[in-house]
Amino acid sequence: MLENAIRPEALDALIKIGINVGIAIIKIAVVLGIGLLHVAYATYFERKVIGHMQVRLGPMRVGPHGLLQPIADGLKLFFKEDIIPANADKPVFYLGPVIFMAASMVNLSVIPFASNFVIANINVGLLFIFAIAGMGVYGIFISGWASNSKYAFIGGLRSSAQVLSYEIAMGLSLVGVMIMAGSLNLTDIVKAQEQSIYGMYAIPQIVAFVVFVIAAVAETNRTPFDLPEAESELVAGYFTEYTGFRFALFFLGEYIAMIIMSSLAAVCFLGGWTIPWYITKVLPFLKYVPGIIWFLLKIYAFIFFYYWIRATVPRYRYDQLMAIGWKILIPVALANILVTGLVKILL
Amino acid sequence: MTTKELVKKIFFIEILKGLALTLSRLFSHAVTIQYPKERRPIAPGFRGQHALVRDSETGKCKCVGCGLCVAYCPSKCIHVFTVEGEEGAKIVERYEIEVLRCIYCGFCVEACPYGAISLTENYEYSDYSREALYMTKEKLLSNWDKYMAGKKGEYYFKKFWRPMSEDLGTPPGQAVFRGKHS
Repeated sequence: MLENAIRPEALDALIKIGINVGIAIIKIAVVLGIGLLHVAYATYFERKVIGHMQVRLGPMRVGPHGLLQPIADGLKLFFKEDIIPANADKPVFYLGPVIFMAASMVNLSVIPFASNFVIANINVGLLFIFAIAGMGVYGIFISGWASNSKYAFIGGLRSSAQVLSYEIAMGLSLVGVMIMAGSLNLTDIVKAQEQSIYGMYAIPQIVAFVVFVIAAVAETNRTPFDLPEAESELVAGYFTEYTGFRFALFFLGEYIAMIIMSSLAAVCFLGGWTIPWYITKVLPFLKYVPGIIWFLLKIYAFIFFYYWIRATVPRYRYDQLMAIGWKILIPVALANILVTGLVKILL
Repeated sequence: MTTKELVKKIFFIEILKGLALTLSRLFSHAVTIQYPKERRPIAPGFRGQHALVRDSETGKCKCVGCGLCVAYCPSKCIHVFTVEGEEGAKIVERYEIEVLRCIYCGFCVEACPYGAISLTENYEYSDYSREALYMTKEKLLSNWDKYMAGKKGEYYFKKFWRPMSEDLGTPPGQAVFRGKHS
């Protein structure tokens, strides 16, 4: 019998662990499902927004107003032929997209979507996101290397240089937030913002916020910093040789990374699932809106901003990109840390 | 760098201007025409698919086989074959147009003294074979029935193709080829 084999206290503990694991799995399934749905419709939203900004319509044919277009695209991608270059380094070639996508997906686990909904409420959430986002560049770089193609290789090189440079600026820009909140736990950061007089750190940390936005665009290889996948120079950059499902993995990873960066902006600068107290004071009924809606609205706004920039600004030259990162963003972020620290000490 | 330039750079003035422009375009009306569902209105005088005019009185082709269209045609895509009928009358046996070579200049219509050939407003006649786009006399006549019969053809001949003559017959002063019996 089970009771004879294990002591009752141990059994209780085991059941508790089992329940916790079960809850975690359900949470992961929910986040993954909703996340993938968001990725699918982020592509649709992107094509629509950019289409209308260019006075076109965007997808219109599949379903009403092209609403089923992402599903059609997905199906098409899965039925595509899987081509592997003859001279590719095959095991590494297979591994590249998996690393890239896994690195983006793991980050979803520490994002607090609502006041009590986060898969892993760890104390070093912010650091964890940086670490894992830094891992993603391995996926990019080894896939560029393993493809055995000059375009993919240059794309991979550019991408690693770019992500490394901008990671510094981004990390430094968030140090201001860490100083103000006194924590690396993302949930605590949101709570600290709710209690502060500003309601959101985007107001006192405006400089850091601007640096963060620029670095986030560069970090996810989006226009105007999309040099790793510059179509006019590098065909498609590091995933030039990838087709079908493997290409889809890169695509998913890229969009999830965008959503992660948007969530990070929402959590660290825009107050996460909360809204500033002065808004609820003016419009008290907004208190009854669930927090997840505010969080999603902030993410959507940030993603819209990504598309908006893509439709507006042309691609930077590579030396300009590096100059912006090293000569402007990093010094500005450092100065911001200095000022934030001084204010924190003096007040 | 002047102060003004510095301020411009710090506050991203140029980029903000660009963002304002794209945002205003976002709310403007798209210029796209959803082709099979919506169509661009056809301008009057449109030069589309060819048709041979069917005489509303006799129900036959108006062409007399003079060959002026053949002579005029810059791409040499019209072929007319005539035979001699009773009393030496000229009968148009075959009237064929290689549509794939046509450049839609409309000179054939202008050249024709009898108003026997026209260009319709139909432009959707792509096909998978060359044979389907080789127009015979019957096909050309049926095109007239389909697209230009009635008032429309008359309007086109009056307004665009033969502005000098109100009636669709030959102007009296014009030197034209006539059959022996007429």
